[in-house]
Amino acid sequence: MTATPDISAPILQLFAHEGFTPVNPPIMQPADVFLEKSGEAIRARTYLFADPDGVEELCLRPDLTVPTCRWHLAHAQDPAAEAKYCYLGPVFRYDGPRDDALHPHEFPQAGLEWFGAQDASAADAQVLALAVRAVRAAGLEDFTITIGDVGLVRALLQDIDMPPRWRARLLRRFRRPAAFHTTLNELTGRNGPRERTSISPLIDALAKQPDMSRAMALVEEELDRRGLELVGGRSIEEIAARLLEKAQNRAAEPLPQEKAELIESLLAVSGPLKPAIVHIGRLTEAAGPHLKAAWEAFAARAENIARLLPDEVMSMTFDAGFGRTFDYYTGFVFQLEVDIRGERQPVGGGGRYDDMLASLGGPSVPALGLALHLPRLSAAITAQEEEGAA
Amino acid sequence: MTGMILFWRNGPMAVNDANKMTVPPVLGVPSKGRLMDTTTELLRKAGLELVRTGHSRGYRGVLRGLDAAPELEVAFLSASEIARHLQEGRIAAGITGEDLLRETIPEVDAVAKTRLPLGFGHADVVVAVPECWLDVARMADLEEVAAEYHARHGRLMRVATKYLRLTRHFFTEHGVTAFRTVRSAGATEGAPAAGLAELIVDITSTGSTLRANHLKVLDDGVILRSEATLALRNDAAEHVVMTELAERLATVL
Repeated sequence: MTATPDISAPILQLFAHEGFTPVNPPIMQPADVFLEKSGEAIRARTYLFADPDGVEELCLRPDLTVPTCRWHLAHAQDPAAEAKYCYLGPVFRYDGPRDDALHPHEFPQAGLEWFGAQDASAADAQVLALAVRAVRAAGLEDFTITIGDVGLVRALLQDIDMPPRWRARLLRRFRRPAAFHTTLNELTGRNGPRERTSISPLIDALAKQPDMSRAMALVEEELDRRGLELVGGRSIEEIAARLLEKAQNRAAEPLPQEKAELIESLLAVSGPLKPAIVHIGRLTEAAGPHLKAAWEAFAARAENIARLLPDEVMSMTFDAGFGRTFDYYTGFVFQLEVDIRGERQPVGGGGRYDDMLASLGGPSVPALGLALHLPRLSAAITAQEEEGAA
Repeated sequence: MTGMILFWRNGPMAVNDANKMTVPPVLGVPSKGRLMDTTTELLRKAGLELVRTGHSRGYRGVLRGLDAAPELEVAFLSASEIARHLQEGRIAAGITGEDLLRETIPEVDAVAKTRLPLGFGHADVVVAVPECWLDVARMADLEEVAAEYHARHGRLMRVATKYLRLTRHFFTEHGVTAFRTVRSAGATEGAPAAGLAELIVDITSTGSTLRANHLKVLDDGVILRSEATLALRNDAAEHVVMTELAERLATVL
């Protein structure tokens, strides 16, 4: 085996040249933040442990996005101002008992995060173009690009009239395709009448007079009657309010079948970018202002991508369902993939995560970034050289 | 036990290559309590005698009565140690709870696919919440309540349990992500009342302890129905001694 050349140097040079400042956030991070923000794919793979005094749960960072956000909030003079960071450092992901070159448990990641970029569709395209330039600078020639936009379905859900609790539930389950589909079926009544549960009798009682004072009284009576103390950190108001919502939602009209179908046909859009724009444009006619705005942003982004990556844009795949299961993205998502000895491997990816800084207690600032899996990128370059030689 | 290589008392164990075991041919048996008593009784019914050797309170013994081996080495261990020793390949077979096997060994089928339920030690690993949560019946409710709790209080709901792995897996499967686990060594059912956790994942056979602590099991909150189980490591399961042991036990169930 030949020695692997250091592919990180040209990548970091490029990032620095584009105005990204190198940062080095701590490897050890509070676990809560990751467990809350990450998708299930990352959660199950994060190394967790406790402080020696057993108080704080910690983790080895599974990526550098959250650590960079936390670093920014702790160190930036004005966290609301635009900031551009890049990094190179180890991340830790358990990938089953195997611990090979393509699925190492500890590996160096190179990437960048960009906070407070003004023109979203331009910045999205620039970050994708930077990812492409970075892998090229490292020596990779052949790769494919898949892009998605998790903001489209979010926008469509805003356009469809339904109880806020249903929308929140669909949004929470969006990242789990099977659960999302089941929930859609439940809300349209496609699965038949709702199943009775152990609390249905109580909701029956409240449905006769569904207001807050009745809900409060009902909860208090029930707790008294059964001699229950209030434990578990939730107040009588919280419990009553949620019971009331359940009683009110019971009277709500089911989600119209054609709306559920609209959501599903949006999610099914997949293929070359240009036809996808037209296809989604047609779907906006049956939706409302939110999807229309999201589609316009999507089309503007596509134009910027075509300008910055005129060669790559032709072979790029758009997939509306792509990126759903990824961590914390809120809009544009992308992934660069290679074939290594017949196996498809992502070597890098990224996207937009506008909610993150605010959810970490910071200002509401748009954010996006990219990260590259260096050992896989190395392996892909080596495989490509071997093929070239053969 | 540590690091020792164990042999049959009467000569080397391997009769031919097909029957070679790479792990010590030792059976792990619960060292105390009802689990041990019931195991001893069941083995006796199968015509097998469990004998402690050496010191009367020692942790070593033999099982007599198998045709394939006059004496099978036995290690008396706690139920959770049996699962761990199985995983590490320090014993070839063990009798312990299915709950401990699943909690201790990430992919239990990859380690010990052959598992014979023994019909005793029945208990369920369940998700239990305070009974005063009158608006919560199912995991879907918990998903919603956990997210609301986090948004409202700025901290994650705590789940007290000794089943960290089973809990994470089950919760994630049901989309409950806004929680953290709190390791609990004993008396888990008291954690919500003590303010140490909001809910628990624990093992229960009759549910009476949960009820006494004003906790209720969610409608779809049974993570695992467990019972005492004979587990054979995959690299020992085909061995004539182990197949005979499983067959003899199966006939008396």
